[in-house]
Amino acid sequence: MNDLAALQTRELGKRYGSKWALRDCTLDIPAGSVTALVGPNGAGKTTLLQLAIGLTKPTAGDVHVLGRSPRDEAASVLPRVGFVAQDHPLHRSFSVADTLTLGRKLNPTWDQEFALRRIERLGLPLSQKVGQLSGGQQAQVALTLALAKRPDLLLLDEPVAALDPLARREFLNALMEVVSETELTVVLSSHIVTDLERVCDHIVILSQGRTQLVDTIDDVVASHRLLTGPRTDPDTVARVHQVIRESHTERQTTLLVRANGHVYDSCWQIHEVDLEEIVLAYLGYGGISPGMRNDTREAVAG
Amino acid sequence: MTWLAWRLQRTETLIMAAVLALLLVLLIPTGIQIANAYHQDGLAVCAGSTPSQACGNLLGNFMSRFESIRNTTVWLTLLPGLIGVSLAAPLALELEHGTHRLAWTQSITRRRWLAGKIGMAVGVALLATLALTLLLTWWRTPFVHLNGRIDPAEYDAEGIVPFGYTLFSLGLAMAIGVLWRRAVPAIVVAFLGYFAFRLFVDIWLRQRLINPVSTTWSNATRGPDLNHSWVLSQSPSDRLGNAVAVTPQPCGSAILKPGGPHVRCFSTHGASYSHAVYHPASHFWSLQSVETAIFAGAGLLMMAFAAWWTHERTA
Repeated sequence: MNDLAALQTRELGKRYGSKWALRDCTLDIPAGSVTALVGPNGAGKTTLLQLAIGLTKPTAGDVHVLGRSPRDEAASVLPRVGFVAQDHPLHRSFSVADTLTLGRKLNPTWDQEFALRRIERLGLPLSQKVGQLSGGQQAQVALTLALAKRPDLLLLDEPVAALDPLARREFLNALMEVVSETELTVVLSSHIVTDLERVCDHIVILSQGRTQLVDTIDDVVASHRLLTGPRTDPDTVARVHQVIRESHTERQTTLLVRANGHVYDSCWQIHEVDLEEIVLAYLGYGGISPGMRNDTREAVAG
Repeated sequence: MTWLAWRLQRTETLIMAAVLALLLVLLIPTGIQIANAYHQDGLAVCAGSTPSQACGNLLGNFMSRFESIRNTTVWLTLLPGLIGVSLAAPLALELEHGTHRLAWTQSITRRRWLAGKIGMAVGVALLATLALTLLLTWWRTPFVHLNGRIDPAEYDAEGIVPFGYTLFSLGLAMAIGVLWRRAVPAIVVAFLGYFAFRLFVDIWLRQRLINPVSTTWSNATRGPDLNHSWVLSQSPSDRLGNAVAVTPQPCGSAILKPGGPHVRCFSTHGASYSHAVYHPASHFWSLQSVETAIFAGAGLLMMAFAAWWTHERTA
């Protein structure tokens, strides 16, 4: 077992009925990293995070969090992992103070001083009912609850999906602040790619229940290139580089490739691409390369 | 976990306490009134003795005076069911709102969460039932002296069966609640299910839980004390206990008193004997034990199912 992996999965799979929500997922998320888990709705992001915190049991494979099984060794894993579920469920009838009491009563490692300081900084009155807070404020309270148990690993399921752009920015800023102060490992899922590059250093792209890409964001951006040139068959390129997406007009061919080393080819104009475009290419928007289509078919049939 | 379980069950517990307080306010004055009337009328001498003319009149007066309030309190037998289903609400509400995920991602295991939540519900439910049963048992004391407590009108508010009813309705509502994850419809359906099962037991099952006593006696003798018993059937019969149909009924249906005119009438129609099938007062605790075991056992099984389902199948 790799000591550095905060979250490790091996051929992890989860099936609901006859449908695989997550399949053959093998990845290592290193300690200290901030990882974006990206994919469209229904890609398996929530399933992966729920498997990591032990909310659900795997159908196949293994998942280890901080070196332990979250389901079988829940008592020793749970105090070290913070989790904010989708739509950040809180008791709406509780006051903010009650919510902190919940955290204090249910977590042996609870840091009440930290929690109070954060709530104060957010400008939330302790007597306020949670149900009366805005969505952004509720998300901040949920994040406070997850952080005040002083976890080593923080899992956030779509933390900003329901927030307006301003609240989203504030939430991510708060998160970045905590990350910069501590050794916290963070995995956060999102179907919105904007803003993630600012916060995250690793990326996992999930689609149709399978991992498409696991890498650092720097490497992803550095290795992907957009090639444009006269209309041609991409086979020569595909022999050396991995073609992620191709599109053709009458006179021109555009390829998005994951370059294997540098691309030396005078027939192609080489452009850099931003992260969002790379993610979209992996998720199959704007045409799928023949290779990818085969993969997809196997995923469905297998 | 105790704090959280209590905090999430506070509303239900307070409502229940308010209902019990209301019952106290209603039942304590009337209970004192009934007990006073019982002693002042000297009804104690009539309890269980041979019905004399004087006793008959006293009893008639007493019963008609308190009949309406007594009939009202019969409905209180539904309260254990209401206590049970309403205390299952906090569990179903957590699953409905998704807040169980908040608790399960703190540092406690879901096993402890379940134990805390179910334990709190069971504890408060049993306490509320205890308070209710003590109050009703005290209130009914004069009626029990007169009629015994195995009579269906008294039986289900006495002894230990109310605890069985509470556990049954609590378990049923929890099981439906964790499957359905909608608190209000689960509670309504669970209460209807509880009511249906109670009807089935009251009407059909209870009398068959243990064998009733079957006796034939000559109308010339006093026969068994059916006044404090639960009589399932009673009819004029021949010496072997075979029912004799007296048709058309010329003899009326009044109580058979030895040597009375009805007895002579039945005798001329070939029915010098009476036959009765009944549960005597001595069957009270056996019936209570078996019935409580059925309700409480089913309730605990359903709770175990709810806990298992939540532990294994809920995310």
